Amino acid sequence: MPLLTDDLRARVGEIRAYTAAEPLSRASIRYYAAAVGDANPLYTDRDRARAVGWADVIAPPTLLCDSNQYLGGTERDADGFAGHSWGIEPPNCRMVRGGNDYVFHRPAYPDDVVTVTWRLADISERTSGAGQEMLIVTSEATFTDQHGTLLLVNTETIIHIALGEVDA
Amino acid sequence: MTAIEAGTELPPLQRAVTLTDMVAYAGATWDWHRLHYDPGYLAERGLSAPVVDGQMLAALLAEQAQDALGPSAFLRRLQFRFRNLVFAGETVRCTARVTACEGLADGTALVTLAASVGVVGADARVAVAPAHLEVHVR
Repeated sequence: MPLLTDDLRARVGEIRAYTAAEPLSRASIRYYAAAVGDANPLYTDRDRARAVGWADVIAPPTLLCDSNQYLGGTERDADGFAGHSWGIEPPNCRMVRGGNDYVFHRPAYPDDVVTVTWRLADISERTSGAGQEMLIVTSEATFTDQHGTLLLVNTETIIHIALGEVDA
Repeated sequence: MTAIEAGTELPPLQRAVTLTDMVAYAGATWDWHRLHYDPGYLAERGLSAPVVDGQMLAALLAEQAQDALGPSAFLRRLQFRFRNLVFAGETVRCTARVTACEGLADGTALVTLAASVGVVGADARVAVAPAHLEVHVR
């Protein structure tokens, strides 16, 4: 049975947008930098950030790409995950991350109230070199601030790999 | 800072990723996926140890480039593919090499880098490759 059904194919182009309940905040920026182990003062010292032309401390570039703060954490799935999901779960498959392409336009500041617009950009099917069927889901997340200024675009690839033996 | 030209290797960034680091990262990103800490959940899936959030490795690539190219550098693009999972307690090493340095009309430069992340130690393997970075050096 093909992984790529007509129902799934019809979903390409779907859009979901979320707006954070509050500004990103200095605390979130400091917490993320501390968790990564990145001591760069650009993330914690306003004077050092201003010295290189930024308006305030900036967020480490990958913070917005990976944080689910904009969703608020009130809804978790059975895996404990509280981020955006299309709910695409082909039967008898395991999910792996393929990769990401982050394009940054301007660093995020503590006062930014972020809106994230997810678009289901593409769903395709492929057979791996080992003969496993794979469903490849590509999503594009566009991040803007409360004035509509573009912060970044994250294009993300998720791969669902069929489990078990492949029929001859 | 050494001169930036094609072929320049950035100082490598090596870091041990402990379960404590992973819990801190899960909290900082509002990501409570059980893959990153729950032994029961992992055992059901045949995994022997908590799985490091792959995007944390991207954070390390960004850190390495920012540290090497200075505070006024602005990361414009970070593109990467995952190759193998990394597990709690393992040590990763980021390597990056300048592939081009293009001077712009305003005196700034666009630096492109080819990078990767590997797991070092007994079970050495590639975690992230290839990775491509574009940095505006102002």
